[in-house]
Amino acid sequence: MTDLVGSPETTEAVDRIGLRRRRWTGDLTFRGVLAALAVGTTLILGFMMVGSFVTAAPVYQKFGIIGFLTGTKWEPSFTIYGAWPFIYGTVLTSLLALLIAVPISVLIALLLTDLAPARLRGPLGVAVDLLAAVPSVVYGLWGLLVLVPVMRPFEQGVAGTLGKVVPFLGPPTPGPSYFAAAVILAVMTVPIISAVTREVFASTPRLQREAVLALGGTRWDVARTVTIPIGRAGLLAAIVLGLGRAIGETIAVTLVVGNSNNIGTSIFAPGFTLASVIANEFNEATETLHPEALIALGTVLLVISVLVNAGAITIRDRFTGGLRSGF
Amino acid sequence: MTTRSEDPLLAVETPQMTASVADPGGVPGARPEPAAGSARPPTEVAMTVRDLSAWYGQRRAVREISLDIDARAITAIIGPSGSGKSTLLRCLDRMHEVVPGARSSGQVLYQGVDIYDPMIEPAAVRRTIGMVFQQPNPFPTMTIYDNVAAPARFNGVVKGKAAEDDLVQRCLTRAALWNEVKDKLRHGGTSLSGGQQQRLCIARALALEPKVLLMDEPCSALDPVATLQVEELMSHLKADYTIVIVTHNMQQASRVSDTTAFLTMGEDRAGYLVEVGPTSEIFTSPKQQLTEDYISGRFG
Amino acid sequence: MASEAVAAFAPTDRRRRVKANLLVICAAIALILALIPLVAVFGYVFVNGIRSMLSLDFLIQDPPADLSATGGGVRNALVGTLEMTGLATLIAVPIALGMAVFAVEVGGRLAQAARFLIDVLAGLPSIVVGIFIYTSVVVTQGHFSGLAGSLALAIVMLPVVTVSAEEILRLTPRPIAEGARALGLTRWRAIMSVFVPVGLSGIITGILLGVSRAIGETAPLIFTSLGNNFFTLDLNQPMQALPLLIYRNALNSAFDAARDRAFGAALLLILIVLGFNLAGRWLTARRRLAGSSR
Repeated sequence: MTDLVGSPETTEAVDRIGLRRRRWTGDLTFRGVLAALAVGTTLILGFMMVGSFVTAAPVYQKFGIIGFLTGTKWEPSFTIYGAWPFIYGTVLTSLLALLIAVPISVLIALLLTDLAPARLRGPLGVAVDLLAAVPSVVYGLWGLLVLVPVMRPFEQGVAGTLGKVVPFLGPPTPGPSYFAAAVILAVMTVPIISAVTREVFASTPRLQREAVLALGGTRWDVARTVTIPIGRAGLLAAIVLGLGRAIGETIAVTLVVGNSNNIGTSIFAPGFTLASVIANEFNEATETLHPEALIALGTVLLVISVLVNAGAITIRDRFTGGLRSGF
Repeated sequence: MTTRSEDPLLAVETPQMTASVADPGGVPGARPEPAAGSARPPTEVAMTVRDLSAWYGQRRAVREISLDIDARAITAIIGPSGSGKSTLLRCLDRMHEVVPGARSSGQVLYQGVDIYDPMIEPAAVRRTIGMVFQQPNPFPTMTIYDNVAAPARFNGVVKGKAAEDDLVQRCLTRAALWNEVKDKLRHGGTSLSGGQQQRLCIARALALEPKVLLMDEPCSALDPVATLQVEELMSHLKADYTIVIVTHNMQQASRVSDTTAFLTMGEDRAGYLVEVGPTSEIFTSPKQQLTEDYISGRFG
Repeated sequence: MASEAVAAFAPTDRRRRVKANLLVICAAIALILALIPLVAVFGYVFVNGIRSMLSLDFLIQDPPADLSATGGGVRNALVGTLEMTGLATLIAVPIALGMAVFAVEVGGRLAQAARFLIDVLAGLPSIVVGIFIYTSVVVTQGHFSGLAGSLALAIVMLPVVTVSAEEILRLTPRPIAEGARALGLTRWRAIMSVFVPVGLSGIITGILLGVSRAIGETAPLIFTSLGNNFFTLDLNQPMQALPLLIYRNALNSAFDAARDRAFGAALLLILIVLGFNLAGRWLTARRRLAGSSR
């Protein structure tokens, strides 16, 4: 740029007009402090993560990683621990929950961005978002004392009819079950999935939407040919985000899932998820290796959750330009 | 940090600057008509631009511009949209590089020193070369008083309440705003009209005691009355400050400025300098055909 | 005439029209399905909890040691919740602001990595956060404590506040950002004295949302503050919190007294959480109305 760099003439001239660069400005300390903060926080969280694995190590050593993950027996009094029933429960309840929540969320998103009169969209949107504000323990309480008894006759009906053909939908129907947990999880994930999906649909290019309408298309055509296809990636991100939330939900699930160590054969059977068994057994975990085994389950949950969430973030950032909902 | 009593423009001698014969009177365009064919009478030069080019990422916005900015005069930069006027202006106080991906090459000399010299702190440059923007932008969370005083306080220009009070009054007076706001100094910065807000921004820039004032289309967001106020203000200010103004309003340029530089977009879509000279010359007998075309409204 | 006008446009074929109407109907049903739990939860909690809440004792007495006994209140839980959440806020907010400023102003690889971490943290099950604090703090200290609970809640709050603050800072209107730079303000001066005040209401909204989330959390507290039947202000002791109390009483809900207590506490909790949530939304709405000068 300039041929006067660093020469004594420049320094003098620069000093004279008072424009000298100051070495240790407030800015540098500022940046330093912030960087230390970011690094420090990262390190502390990383340290905690490692600490959990370290605590759980004895259990992994005893059963082997694969052995622990696939073990189907969980009997603390015999010091036998296997994670599979809980992994099964987590996957089952989450997928069932998504099965219920996703269509509902997509329909709501369409309603609130396209189909409903503009005046209603705001308040209705707030109402749906409020679903997310209710603490999970309250959902659990309500689920246990209200939802489960109410659903029971319906469950018995299904189990008695379809259940005869498909054992998966059959008895037993004690009330608290995978299905009950899935319903509660669905209620809790609808606000998340629909919030993100609403943002995605709202950013559908107007040009395309209006093109379909101008050609005589109905709103259904718009949704079918423009809104949903264009929002595919964002929709996927929303679903994965909801999945992440469903996987980790603890208290609401604990209260309604039935608390059984077995792998239930029907969705109406009681069971456990990774999160709910930890919550349920932790305070009474006095057997050998019991606490460590529960923490090991926690590490499994941690890994699954990080993978799912990292996936959601990657999809979101890569395909949707970083939309973030207010959660 | 220079103080007001010293005037480094006169004190320093470098090869780039000629001895000063201060321009008599501040009336725009009233300098003696140069004899046909002769060079302009020697004036003091505040800044010199040499071969300045600027890019936004891969796209070049300004191509190799060289010109002198006279001290204590108003230099107008005119040209059609996209000709790089604002980019050029922003290069003069290192605001161009604030945009992510933006860069520049060439030199901008202030008192013989290139402001892009790595030894120099950009923030320091901006305290000496101030800027007023197109859209008035007083800080909404500060009072009128603080809008003027705070930047000066942060930069160490004043210390102590008495000095601040004095500075605020001085600057608001220079910006022809004091009488209108002296009773509401504690009101919010955005509680004023557009023209008043712009004058507040000018006062704020003046509080840092700059030597040069850059103005990027300062009147285009204002109504005609406010525009007139700001133009009058400029003619008074040029007695003490060097002013560079970008404007798309040719009448304003011819009304207000002493020197005019005409930029236009080249074939490579980068702006370049077509012609620069005394305002009266540019507007009555420009040397370039392009200038003539622009002035007479044939394009732009 | 109108009928001629209508006839001039060929009607959409019946199938598509039916599908379009069906879509709207299904969407409306979906909305109703989603809102039924909202109404139902509020309704039940209100109806079953209001009796407890109406008595002042509920707020100023501690619960009985035997959950099946009637009477008593939730004082220790309420105070515990407020205390732990308060401390969590004090811890989380400066860190969150710092990280937000770091991401926006300093940028670069390090900031991107930190931001990714925060995003992952946002999706982490709160029970895992509880485990983190358990293995690092509770085990080291040798006992459960309100302090550990506060730390867990702070980690839960951190991503919410950080993301919010970061977005607000990024949305600083360009004229203001440029104005501050053009006045020669150093970066930290510009942030502290201009950008943060300008974005303050947005940042506060983020904090309120974070608080409303932390107040309702149960799982992280199970391993950290554990819960306490007695009243204490001492953060070094195990501490009770509203969600914990609700949980324990829900587990014992065969007893009417426990059931009533659970609903009463749930109503109290919902009111508090809603209060913060709606306050945050109100601030946002006010900001939007005030226009770009904010």
